[in-house]
Amino acid sequence: MTQSNVETGAAALASAPPSPPLVRARGIAKSFSGNAVLRSVDLDLHAGEVVGLLGENGAGKSTLMHILSGGLRADDGTIEMDGAPVRFASVGEGIDAGVSFVHQELSVVGALSVAENLHLGRMAKTRAGLVDFGLMQHASRALLARVGAGHIDPRREAGSLRAGEQQLVEIAKAAGRKPRLLILDEPTSSLTPHEVGGFFSYVREARAAGAAIIFITHRLEEAMALCDRVVVLRNGAVVSERRPAETTRGQLIADMTGKPSIYAYRPRTVDDGAIALSLRGVCDGRLLQGIDLEVRKGEVFGLFGLVGAGRTELLDVIHGVHRATAGTIALFGEPVALRDPSEAVRAGIALVPEGRKTAGILPQHPVRDNAAISSLRRFARGPFSDRGGDHGRTEAYRQSLGIRMASDRQAISTLSGGNQQKVIFARALMAEPRILLLDEPTHGVDVGAKADLYDIVTREADKGLTVVIASSEVPEILAVCDRVAVLSKGRLAGILERADMTEDRILTMAFKEH
Amino acid sequence: MQQTLTFVRGLGRHREASVLAMLAIVAIYLSLASDYFLEPRNLLNVGRQASVVAIVALGQALVIIARGIDLSVGSVIGLSAVVAAVLMRDTGSETIGLVAGLLTGLACGLVNGVLYTRFRINPFIATLGTLSIARGIALLMTGGIPVPFGGFAEFVGAGRIFDIPVSFLLMIALAVVVHVFASRTVVGREIYAIGDNPKASRLAGVNLRAIRLFVFALCGLLAGLGGLILAGNLASADPNLGMGYELDVIAAVILGGTALSGGRGSILGVVIGALLMALLNNAFVLLGISAYWQVVTKGLVIIFAVGLDGLQRGGDDD
Repeated sequence: MTQSNVETGAAALASAPPSPPLVRARGIAKSFSGNAVLRSVDLDLHAGEVVGLLGENGAGKSTLMHILSGGLRADDGTIEMDGAPVRFASVGEGIDAGVSFVHQELSVVGALSVAENLHLGRMAKTRAGLVDFGLMQHASRALLARVGAGHIDPRREAGSLRAGEQQLVEIAKAAGRKPRLLILDEPTSSLTPHEVGGFFSYVREARAAGAAIIFITHRLEEAMALCDRVVVLRNGAVVSERRPAETTRGQLIADMTGKPSIYAYRPRTVDDGAIALSLRGVCDGRLLQGIDLEVRKGEVFGLFGLVGAGRTELLDVIHGVHRATAGTIALFGEPVALRDPSEAVRAGIALVPEGRKTAGILPQHPVRDNAAISSLRRFARGPFSDRGGDHGRTEAYRQSLGIRMASDRQAISTLSGGNQQKVIFARALMAEPRILLLDEPTHGVDVGAKADLYDIVTREADKGLTVVIASSEVPEILAVCDRVAVLSKGRLAGILERADMTEDRILTMAFKEH
Repeated sequence: MQQTLTFVRGLGRHREASVLAMLAIVAIYLSLASDYFLEPRNLLNVGRQASVVAIVALGQALVIIARGIDLSVGSVIGLSAVVAAVLMRDTGSETIGLVAGLLTGLACGLVNGVLYTRFRINPFIATLGTLSIARGIALLMTGGIPVPFGGFAEFVGAGRIFDIPVSFLLMIALAVVVHVFASRTVVGREIYAIGDNPKASRLAGVNLRAIRLFVFALCGLLAGLGGLILAGNLASADPNLGMGYELDVIAAVILGGTALSGGRGSILGVVIGALLMALLNNAFVLLGISAYWQVVTKGLVIIFAVGLDGLQRGGDDD
């Protein structure tokens, strides 16, 4: 996509700061094993500006940020800082040049104290050559206070902090480097509203001090509130640049998805029929406490929660990955005590797990074997597996799920993320489950595949399959769910009927225990 | 250098073919260097030597495909032979002795499997422990003195049918069975799946513990069988029997193209790998090279084979 395709508000052009940009990226392109992730991206960042970077998963946001910060090398294009071309060979060189990147994944060293984490690689020493803990703690208090985390004791072990606090430590660590370009990748996903407030004031302070800040988020309200300019990436190209005051949520979603209808609710009715799954007072001895809920047959039931709320843990208990330490689980009225996922699959509960690469695919196996692994025993003849039948069934699901592949003999790792995920769906459906559990089913898949997956979920539910879908994306919950249970720190904060489901209400409930 | 690397990677991709090629090269060299090599007696002897390594390697291959490793096979060979010989001597019943020998192997495998699946001890360490324990028990039972061993086991270990060693025929038969098992049965396919991605397989409904326990038990059973054949061949159950065999067995498995990282490997490759190991041993005897060099070479072969595996995956770990 060329720059002429980019929609730019006239006002944005007129009021562009007159000074030359701090960072000027031109024609940045990057491919991974033949898949173009970025196609000629242009981006200007000015000192004293907060730029929101929006886009669906897989749009190329993280890749672009890794290139800007020196973690990846672009295949093509140039980056200038202060008008001079730069080419960082490593993240270290980027940091030296003033580029700090706070990653979405937390990377604090759990066994070290907060103060040590804040000073990793640049610890102060006393004259005797030992680490100067006093100085470090003093400096740490000041840094933490700046990002609105003054309540965290720098002597605490970083691993004992909850996710949101760890995130603030990471932000404080970046702040300590006095960055000229600060990249924040979904920094607020695990922060409480109060912490978000403190974080926002730090960002505004850094902006006033002349830093350029890139703020990646999925929460449009935050982008609108904090940013001077919002850039939307889609399929590896910049599709729009807008000023928050001059645009709307709907417009931004349309820019991000290219399909305004992707998150439209697919209307359906659920019979007030049998209870397919019921949980009474379920605890897992780790996080979950006293979870009560009932899912009706043929219902698409959402599970929403912030990071660490217990979505995956709840699915794990239902699927037998961990045993419930208290409470009862019943399937279609029959109490069950599943000790292993193999028992769950036999009882008719299939799971599409979170983390396709680590927990989903068998990377060295062909597509066919990946699809068949959950149903080998179902279709076995004596001890022998039905390899011929696997081929036929994989072919049937290739058609019904729209899996794009040359042959079911090709290794699954050669397919795109969306197609891999459809194979994992095929695996779960091939086991002919009564209950389908989906954990972040559209993470890292492109927009087209996402829409397909929503359609598949709705279609299977219309055929009578009970679906429980855990997601951290509110639009996804709103798109497919008939009801949603909101979890907050391992407790059930409440259950919303379709008519009551709004983004505000869901998020408010998610923060109930914070 | 770059070309060499590319060539070696190419070799890695067609591992069975490349091991077969190595086998041919060694064979051609030996046929030129030694007049005795092509004698039927010698070739059949190589087949006999390969058979015990190959039989034990069949079990080891399944363990490694499932992302485990069993270092205890050499000691299990010794203990099974000793248990069989002692019981045969004390009860006077050949059947009791042979069955007890096989059950000893099975029991050792089950212990390894339980240590891994129930007590979550890394199989490398668990089987290193049983390696020492099994050898110690064999020495305790015999006071370190070999026990005479004969009868049916001697026929299997040293006998011939139409001039072909019985142990070689048994190895071929077992290889066919294990090949069909690994590639056609549900359990076989689940073994490959858990080696490829254990977490994903478990969540997909594969009973991880049961499959892991099964492969270790099978490996122990085959090591026990190997012990009976080896002792039968020598007509004596030495408590030190099979010492260092784990090296030959693991080398045969890795040479045959089984990935140490799990999920990949073929039974045909394992048999060819075992033949190559036996041929290398034969080469040292025929060429009159010091047996100590043989020990050095085994280590080099293992490093070479694992190196091929690493190059083939081309720095996935980085």
